[in-house]
Amino acid sequence: MPFDPGQPYEKHPQVAIRPEGFGGLAYHYGNRRLVFLKAPELVTLVESLADYPSARDALSACVPAPRQKSCEQALASLLTSSIIRPR
Amino acid sequence: MSGENGTTEATAAAQDVEETDELLVEEISIDGMCGVY
Repeated sequence: MPFDPGQPYEKHPQVAIRPEGFGGLAYHYGNRRLVFLKAPELVTLVESLADYPSARDALSACVPAPRQKSCEQALASLLTSSIIRPR
Repeated sequence: MSGENGTTEATAAAQDVEETDELLVEEISIDGMCGVY
């Protein structure tokens, strides 16, 4: 299922994110994927997805406007990697 | 003058967005690292 910013998402329960200077490292304990999140606001966004009714609302709240498009594309990639999942 | 500065800033911002479009997420496989541990 393709990423739809109008839908609600959450960080996958089998994923842990370790904060780093460049952003964070996300590790999925189920599929053993390791993903670099190369922006601190992307880490905040992924951790906060479950608190908002849609990914678009989370983007508006967590990411400055000029970077929202980039972060939206990043979320699509993270859905493919199962770092996030639909609620 | 201020118009030129505004254009320059907008261009710089656009370039910044383009540069980050493909760079925010990078996935690596650690399957081949088992022998390290």
